[in-house]
Amino acid sequence: MHGARSIVRFAFTIGMFFTLAGCCESEEKTPQAAPAGGQTSAAPKEVYTIGMSQCNLGEPWRVQMNKDVELAAEKHPNLEVVFKDAQNDTLKQRAHVEEFVSAGVDLLIISPKEAQPLTEPVAKAFQAGIPVIVLDRAVLGDQFTCFIGADNTKIGRAAGEWIAEQLGGAGRVVELKGLMTSIPGQDRHSGFREGIEGTDIEVIFEADMKWLESNARKEMESALARYDDIDMVYAHNDPGAHGAYLAAKAADRHEDIMFVGIDALPHEGIAYVIQDILDATFQYPTGGAEAIDVALRIFAGEEVPKHIVLGSRLFTKDNVADGGVAIE
Amino acid sequence: MPTESEQNVPPLVQMTGITKRFGHVTVLHEVSFDVRAGEVHVLAGENGAGKSTLIKILAGVHSDFEGAIEIEGKPVRPASPLEANALGVAVIHQELSLVPSMSVADNIFLGRSVTHGGFVSDRVQRDASRDLMARFGINVDVDQLVEDLPIATQQLIEIAKALSHEAKIIVMDEPTSALSAPEVEKLFGLIAQLKERGCGIVYISHKMEEIERIADRITVLRDGRFVGCDDASALPVRKIINWMVGRDIEQQFPRHTPGLGSERLRIEDFTVPGEGRHARPVVDGASLHVRAGEIVSLAGLQGSGASELLWGIFGARGRNDSGRVLLDGAPLAIRSPHHAISNGIALLTNDRKATGLVLSMSVIANAVMADLPRLSPLGLRSPAREMLAADRTAERLNLRAASLQMEVNELSGGNQQKVALAKWMQTEPKLLLLDEPTRGIDVGAKREVYQLMNDWTARGIAILMITSELPELLAMSDRIVVMHRGRITAHYTREEATADAIMEAAMGRQMETMSA
Amino acid sequence: MTDSPDKTAAPALTVQMNPMLRFVASPAGRALIALALVILLGVIFHADGAFFKIGTHRDALRQASVFGILACGMTLVIITGGIDLAVGSVLALAAVVFATFTIHWGWTAWLAVPLVVLLGASCGAISGSLTAWFRIQPFIATLAMMVFARGLAKIASGGMKVSTAVPNDDGTYSYIPVPGVFRLIDSRVGDVLESWCGAFSEYLLSRIGGWFGDGLAWVFDAVEWIYVNCGIAFVCANVSVVTVIFLFCVALAWLLLARHRWGRQLYAIGGNEEAARLSGVPVRRAKIMAYAAAGLLAGVAGICQAAQEQQGDPEAGMAYELSAIAIVVIGGTNLMGGRGGIGLTLIGTLTIGYLEKVLSINAVPEASRLMLTGVIIVLAVLTQKRRR
Repeated sequence: MHGARSIVRFAFTIGMFFTLAGCCESEEKTPQAAPAGGQTSAAPKEVYTIGMSQCNLGEPWRVQMNKDVELAAEKHPNLEVVFKDAQNDTLKQRAHVEEFVSAGVDLLIISPKEAQPLTEPVAKAFQAGIPVIVLDRAVLGDQFTCFIGADNTKIGRAAGEWIAEQLGGAGRVVELKGLMTSIPGQDRHSGFREGIEGTDIEVIFEADMKWLESNARKEMESALARYDDIDMVYAHNDPGAHGAYLAAKAADRHEDIMFVGIDALPHEGIAYVIQDILDATFQYPTGGAEAIDVALRIFAGEEVPKHIVLGSRLFTKDNVADGGVAIE
Repeated sequence: MPTESEQNVPPLVQMTGITKRFGHVTVLHEVSFDVRAGEVHVLAGENGAGKSTLIKILAGVHSDFEGAIEIEGKPVRPASPLEANALGVAVIHQELSLVPSMSVADNIFLGRSVTHGGFVSDRVQRDASRDLMARFGINVDVDQLVEDLPIATQQLIEIAKALSHEAKIIVMDEPTSALSAPEVEKLFGLIAQLKERGCGIVYISHKMEEIERIADRITVLRDGRFVGCDDASALPVRKIINWMVGRDIEQQFPRHTPGLGSERLRIEDFTVPGEGRHARPVVDGASLHVRAGEIVSLAGLQGSGASELLWGIFGARGRNDSGRVLLDGAPLAIRSPHHAISNGIALLTNDRKATGLVLSMSVIANAVMADLPRLSPLGLRSPAREMLAADRTAERLNLRAASLQMEVNELSGGNQQKVALAKWMQTEPKLLLLDEPTRGIDVGAKREVYQLMNDWTARGIAILMITSELPELLAMSDRIVVMHRGRITAHYTREEATADAIMEAAMGRQMETMSA
Repeated sequence: MTDSPDKTAAPALTVQMNPMLRFVASPAGRALIALALVILLGVIFHADGAFFKIGTHRDALRQASVFGILACGMTLVIITGGIDLAVGSVLALAAVVFATFTIHWGWTAWLAVPLVVLLGASCGAISGSLTAWFRIQPFIATLAMMVFARGLAKIASGGMKVSTAVPNDDGTYSYIPVPGVFRLIDSRVGDVLESWCGAFSEYLLSRIGGWFGDGLAWVFDAVEWIYVNCGIAFVCANVSVVTVIFLFCVALAWLLLARHRWGRQLYAIGGNEEAARLSGVPVRRAKIMAYAAAGLLAGVAGICQAAQEQQGDPEAGMAYELSAIAIVVIGGTNLMGGRGGIGLTLIGTLTIGYLEKVLSINAVPEASRLMLTGVIIVLAVLTQKRRR
């Protein structure tokens, strides 16, 4: 069954190459007869076109975000979503926003690459009467309809508190950091430190693994070589925790150490928890499904809050089958 | 060497007691050299005698030497080429130092651009360059890119560029190696002008006729030591050669024609198309034959197509289907150099550094390079077998290298040429195509090459050779074929050939075409 | 050697030199000095003795192996005077395809490994053909392949890591075990040797009885005793399979480069392409094969990477081509082509590998690590500047 699917995918690959040979950005659907000009949500329409501008699809988490949007929209036959991938290029994303505005989409969802350069295009779309939902990363000012995002500091703090609880308030922890020049990395670090404050948890080794599994494994091997007694590994993402697990397993010390990651994507963190590789993972929600909910409310003419902070969920071996537990 | 000058004016340049070491090796021992205003002072010696090092010291390339330099009586010590330039020393190198992708005008003003507020003022540079070109009688558009010009023109531009610095002392290191006879004449005219203006000229050359013609004084170096210096009129050629090699050369060109065998190579109506925009074929319907044991020489001036003919026969310019090629009587369409080699053909190119040798590889690696398929039939090489093969060939060619493992670029010119020859002897060819086999090598090495050519023909190898040196051409060839602009214009046997007749055939037709 | 009386023909560099000095001045000597300095750095900053643990060295060698495999291929290409920027992307493509074959489709390694290696070789052959036949500069041709292979890896994987969590059509996931070949590649030599030899000897003993069987059993016991008591077991337990794959690649590349006609042709092409052509060297074929070999080794590296990550990551191998180039250059192979060797690349791999390890066990922050690596690359290359 998987074989058949993958063969189709390979055939698709070749086809894609030829059809996309000329154009760089991937556009999955073309808007059908987009109504001209911006409009308010006064009169219900047959089909609403939503433009979704994603800053890049290089990270699995963002692929998941698009997937969540797509899955949620599929349930509503009156929604049509057009996806654009800016491939980590701010100017390209800006162009995408402008294209959506001139195509006259009914609503714009954007997960911006950077705040400053994208604030103005987003504001222009908003002023043109198009409702704008900003996902995950913010823009400056208030020229948008709704911001949906999770709080990395909060998640980091929850992880810290959970770890302190598991270790009974004292223990030796290795922290494998994401990129410390990135905001999520900084927040997951500072939140974690807040969470373990006042306990006897000691961070004995910390290193940047640049969100990459292979780097995490290297750093963990160094930590293992240096310290004979490690209780817990806190990694800023699940692949990092997985890499640390593989390092410990190679040294035959995986039984003595607990591994905690963040993100809880179905095929990564959650899979690792199910396979008994990670002891816990904290969800960093994509907000994709929530964005579609908010969009529907806007189309229905309801008021929506300006800021929505998504909750996180904790997945452990005991609760993963039930979909984890929400954390405060 | 103290000068016996009656005048009280100091010489333009006086170099005294120059000693230069590279590491532990002393390449110059207490050499003295001087140049007077208005003279051509030829610096002669075998390759590796220290001529280039001496010149480089004068030109500021090597600043760590012992001894003293005076220019017009003032002690100087140029620490860089720029400083030497400022002192009035201009050097025209053997290798071109022009930037191929820049225009003639830009090249002439390279490094000293005429600028207005930081911007290059092209107009001024172009006008000045045009004047310069006119002054030296070089017929060239100064906006043309240097790479689009023939090598000879590039060489003249290089000379003009050096002279545009208003230099007092002009060093020419083998300036004629890429020039044709009329261009050489032009250069000599220029040198006469410079002499009148009171410049001193240091001239390095391996060509005896040139030395005899233009030298006022001659200094000979050997093995980094001063051998002698005298007025040219007081120095017969035999004595110069004696000084250079340290022994008498009884007979410079010892050609012994063996009994000729059957016909080795015959080409009929052979054409080599021109490259790129020049649609005119570079070889146009050439027919000739070479017999086993015979040396046939191709004579011709710049652009005669002789080199291209050799490349065409060797398959180096791709597959050639024009006319007919017969090797030992059997028709053959050579596809590639690889194909030619497997058919017993070898091509010694006229530029060993650019197309002949891989300078970064060892003597052995170069010597066996063309014969790898035979030495390693199954792909895996045997260093011992290669060593043995290279050793045997090297001994036959009297190759002088401290070790066969050393890189070729550490050898002297003559020995490099022997490595290139060794590469081809290793393939045991039936037909040798030699393009300028003695270019840029010293007298002793030349003689050895002639001796080798005699040996090879005695063993039945056929040789088709190009040489631009008339004495060599006349003495070493059994037959001479003259080419002009891609066509064969004359055939001579050795007995009937004369220098005048050959030059006429090489140039005569040109006059006809021009008048037609 | 010709015994010529004319010693003046001997050039400047054949002077009598202390053999020790001459070794230090040779490229291999300089590369070894750089390696020794890095190891000395480790001895000084040993991170509470972590540097002296056998595991540290085992890990350093394992971590350097993927880069080393890439660097072997890169050496072949650089010796021809070219460069291959595509190896990192081809590694990712190979990792993704290998993971798809073995995890998702459940193919046996006997089929998956050759196919993936062939895929890598084809990628290399394509960029090689572009430079050899169409005269596109290697930098450009392989840059195009680098982008293309990365795109192909992303499409082939659907933009997601190909892991043991297999997506179903309804958006849920099924979880399957890690394939045996992944575990095999990511284990130690000792484990493999012991389990294979154990199974083999048991099989033989179960089939052969009588006095011959007893004799055989005695021989097996003797072999095992030697294995355990002569340090072989200790060594095998501390060498990763990936490292052995790397060393195998080194040996193969060395054999081809130093002892095969083709290797000599690569040096000739890098030293003087026109002279090589006129000496009958099949320049185009030799070049294409060099790029194909680099691609093939990138395929091998991709398999190793996938096995170590237990997944095929389309983002893997990002900027690995730069590390591979750095390794080759630190080893002392000339970027202009014509000079260098696989032995130098082996030393370069160890130098970079140990440098990373020393920085890692000391938990040096990322920013300082980048700066230090830059400085050390320059220092290493400075010590190798050719005389003259």
